[in-house]
Amino acid sequence: MSGSSILLDHVGKDFEMDDGRKVVAVEDVRLEIGSGEFVALIGPSGCGKSTLLRMLAALEQPSRGRVTVDGKAPEELSRNHRLGVAFQDHALLPWLSVEANIALPFRIANRSVDRARITDLISLVGLKGFEKARPSQLSGGMRQRVSIARALVLKPDVLLLDEPFGALDAVTRRQMNLELQRIWQEQHISTLLVTHSVDEALFLSDRVVVMSGRPGSILKEVTVPFGRPRNPEVMRSAEFHALEDELTEALEQRGVAA
Amino acid sequence: MIRISRQRAQDVAYGAIGILAFLALWEYIGVNQLAGLTWPPLSTVLAYLFDPSRQALFTRAMSASFSMVGAGYVAGTLIGVVLACVAHLVVPLREGLGRFSSVVHSIPSIALAPLFIILLSKDWSGMAIATLNVYFIVFIATQSGLAAATRAHHNVFTTLGSGRLTRLVRLEAPAALPSIVSGLKYAVPAAFIGAIIGEWFGATRGLGLLMVSAMQNFQIPLLWSAVLLTSAGSLVSFGLMSLVERYVYARYR
Amino acid sequence: MPGLLKSAFSRYWGVLLILILWQAWVTLGELNAIVMPQPIDVVVDLVTNPGIYLQNGVQTLALAAGGLLLGMTLGSLIAIACWFSRLATGMLVPLAMIFSSVPVVALIPVIARLLGYDIRTVLAIVVIVSFFPAFVFTSAGMRALPPGSEDLFRVLGATRKSRFLHMALPAAVPSWMIALRLAAPSAVLSAMLAEFLMGQSGLGYMFRAAAGDFATERAFGTSVIATAVSVITFTLTLRAERAVNERWR
Repeated sequence: MSGSSILLDHVGKDFEMDDGRKVVAVEDVRLEIGSGEFVALIGPSGCGKSTLLRMLAALEQPSRGRVTVDGKAPEELSRNHRLGVAFQDHALLPWLSVEANIALPFRIANRSVDRARITDLISLVGLKGFEKARPSQLSGGMRQRVSIARALVLKPDVLLLDEPFGALDAVTRRQMNLELQRIWQEQHISTLLVTHSVDEALFLSDRVVVMSGRPGSILKEVTVPFGRPRNPEVMRSAEFHALEDELTEALEQRGVAA
Repeated sequence: MIRISRQRAQDVAYGAIGILAFLALWEYIGVNQLAGLTWPPLSTVLAYLFDPSRQALFTRAMSASFSMVGAGYVAGTLIGVVLACVAHLVVPLREGLGRFSSVVHSIPSIALAPLFIILLSKDWSGMAIATLNVYFIVFIATQSGLAAATRAHHNVFTTLGSGRLTRLVRLEAPAALPSIVSGLKYAVPAAFIGAIIGEWFGATRGLGLLMVSAMQNFQIPLLWSAVLLTSAGSLVSFGLMSLVERYVYARYR
Repeated sequence: MPGLLKSAFSRYWGVLLILILWQAWVTLGELNAIVMPQPIDVVVDLVTNPGIYLQNGVQTLALAAGGLLLGMTLGSLIAIACWFSRLATGMLVPLAMIFSSVPVVALIPVIARLLGYDIRTVLAIVVIVSFFPAFVFTSAGMRALPPGSEDLFRVLGATRKSRFLHMALPAAVPSWMIALRLAAPSAVLSAMLAEFLMGQSGLGYMFRAAAGDFATERAFGTSVIATAVSVITFTLTLRAERAVNERWR
């Protein structure tokens, strides 16, 4: 087990619109992620789940409450290059090769590039032979693999995944879920995954947190009982379907489903 | 009621500070003669420019130059749009028209001016050069605009059994509009440059003529006034086209 | 071979048309050679006096290249300096927009009066003409970042320096190539224009001298050379831009 424990302590976030109106995006959220735990956050579009992740990534400041990682502010984490994030739009630099994109965190952290680590990660995410390719030459799924490898390259304390497979088709997405679970199995980093997909959340995480929208708040939490490593067969079990129904129902409450 | 965001207000304030600083620097250099006698203070130029006794001179020069600019702008736009449509519709001509345009555009103005003086007249060569400058920019912008409609939209028109003309009028032309308007915006300074250069080659009136004769006769305030008027004309037209551009972008993109 | 000829014709029929119209106009109009030379006379002058064309052409090209290099370096450096300061950006970008929307060549007479009737004025004009595209496009390019990259660099705890080196600077490269494509041909043309108005040498001056002596075939020859140089500059910079875009996007 490695990684940090994360605490979002009664966090709220307001946004100011162009016309000066104030919108409450997130209200009174309390969420703990233990060391080495994988938590999935699901909810309809615009429920503030990405806002929570962005606060954890020090990309947004909470309006109320506190966000801490091992008792310290998330800014400290990113300043020390201990944060790994995979964004929905992959955010690969188009002028860099696969290799160079994965090496980027080393350069930003001003460390010497660990070639062996990059080679390992490239084979871990199944991109052997594509080291010199540039992002424009890759498929959507391959770009996301690069993005995940880049998030992992510095062995971060916290891994944040913001709908990393949101733009992929169902088959590729399923495949990526299998690979992510395999990769995560080897690292056991404290992870927060934000997603739309109920079965993705159930398959990957130790605990699923359901959010409702406007203002975003936590509706329900479900502990996932399946052991690891998980086979795709898990998804065909009755227990999985029961949980899936339970979560889907929670999402549909108060007409919040997207 | 739309509130102006703080960011925007700050941008405007910084921009205003920058422009004021530039004008102040101009004045300071002029007053202290840091660049010699040929750099007059802004206040001197403005006083010279707005002196009632010179009203007639500047009005005459401006109306001559600006009408050449305007005529060249309109003619260049028409030629540019029509040729781009031809290049778009008649595929065998496309490549050649593109080359032709870039070669014509590359002929130096100083070589064109005397040619136009022979072909047209001394006073119309400014308009002719402005036309050529504008035509090239509009041609390129229109051509890339006409290619801007997406495959999906083309498919809609194909499945609806659209004719070539309908496709041009209802799909490609509206899709090209943002690009054309941007081209028209950048064509403004090009039109002014064309007209002024044309006038340098022996026009009998206009701001370009004022510049050259002021330069040769060491009439420094007159020289700067003529440059300032030309720049102001270009700036105002450019600003107007930017407004049109904003509207078209909001409506057609 | 016929295939090559056909494709050359489909590309250059416009240029051919100009030559035919020119010849036809001279022949049918029965124009005096002082007014309008025949294409063939121009070619003869070009072939028999290559030295004088070469000498002046090289000088103009060197001036244009030097001014282009200086102006673009200056423009890019100031744009880079501005990236580090919001105040400088806020103050300079609107000014640069104003200057790039006014006819800069109208400044030639003013600069001629400031710097004198010589080569320095020609250089200064080319520098000014090249400065604004470099400044405007570099500034814009450093802000046209790939989606998500700003968040990425914040998350990775990047310093200002590494955001500059790894994000803003490479992101500006395609825009900088656009600036080069726009500035290079206009550097050549404005160098000639400045030479024409007050230079003592170079293609522009050569044109004026020839036109003054009614040596029309020489004047037209100069125009042909200048046009060719300008077309070549444009083509080369366009190719360079495409090659860079291929690599950069």
